[in-house]
Amino acid sequence: MNPEPFLQLDRVIHEKGRLAIMSMLAASPELSFTELRDALGMTDGNLTTHIRALQEEGYVSVAKSYQNNRPLTTCSLTAPGRKAFAEYINLLEQIVRQNKPR
Amino acid sequence: MDTNWAEENLQTIRTLMERASVYRRALAPIMLFVGSVGVFAAAIGFLCHFDSPDAIDSLWMDTAIFAFTGAVLISRRQAFKAKEPFLSPPAKRVVQAMLPSWLAGLISATLFRLVAVNDPQLFWWLPPIWMVLYGLALYGAGFFTLRGIRLLGWCFFLSGLAALVMLAIKSISGPLPPLIYAHYLMGFFFGVLHLAYGAYLYLTEKRKNAA
Repeated sequence: MNPEPFLQLDRVIHEKGRLAIMSMLAASPELSFTELRDALGMTDGNLTTHIRALQEEGYVSVAKSYQNNRPLTTCSLTAPGRKAFAEYINLLEQIVRQNKPR
Repeated sequence: MDTNWAEENLQTIRTLMERASVYRRALAPIMLFVGSVGVFAAAIGFLCHFDSPDAIDSLWMDTAIFAFTGAVLISRRQAFKAKEPFLSPPAKRVVQAMLPSWLAGLISATLFRLVAVNDPQLFWWLPPIWMVLYGLALYGAGFFTLRGIRLLGWCFFLSGLAALVMLAIKSISGPLPPLIYAHYLMGFFFGVLHLAYGAYLYLTEKRKNAA
């Protein structure tokens, strides 16, 4: 079996929590911090850490605004983030295909 | 190397993406349109003295069809502007969630029309039943769109239940009011409530865009 695709997997996205965040953001133009937190059942601190890691990698952008006088933090995938996510999926599919009995 | 994890990861990604793709069309114009139609229909019903079960049923069924068609057209225009498919997966889920209640509303309207032939006062029970069913439809749809829709659903549902209880109490203590007043109930809930929620959404969406 060729281990090449596995080695190419993006380590930043491969982490369970960050993969979940990327998946949610890939399906929506933007999601608020609370929407992500509630949907994924993460703590504020955990989500903040993961988002910061993705932000540092340039995969996620964070915007802060106000809604009804309350601060609103929204997250969205950047173009490189979208590309990295698509590549990650392709590699996963490649791994699954490789393992299928012919 | 065990590659089950890859399949599991793909499945998890698929599930999360489905959960995240909620219906995000601007609901303010739809709510304002539906509310205006509701108020207009109530005014027509009251001013034209539509007080027979047949007249009330026809007026409100036609109103529902008109409001639904208008909402679909507004939503289609928004999808067209955003260059997105009109029947996107979240849109389909919203329709699927509302469909059983809509169907129940349609069937109950037909049944009450038949039942109320001998006793028109029985028709009083229909508006609260419609409110309950519509509330359930909104509540179901609320899982695939703005969370506020679920609250609106609760509002219709609880108000409908309260109206049913009040009708029950009133019918025990004496005759029910003339059927013409059913337009007040319909106009307030299907008209004014939609208008109020539409105005709230309009203002909050506008403020969000400005921020």
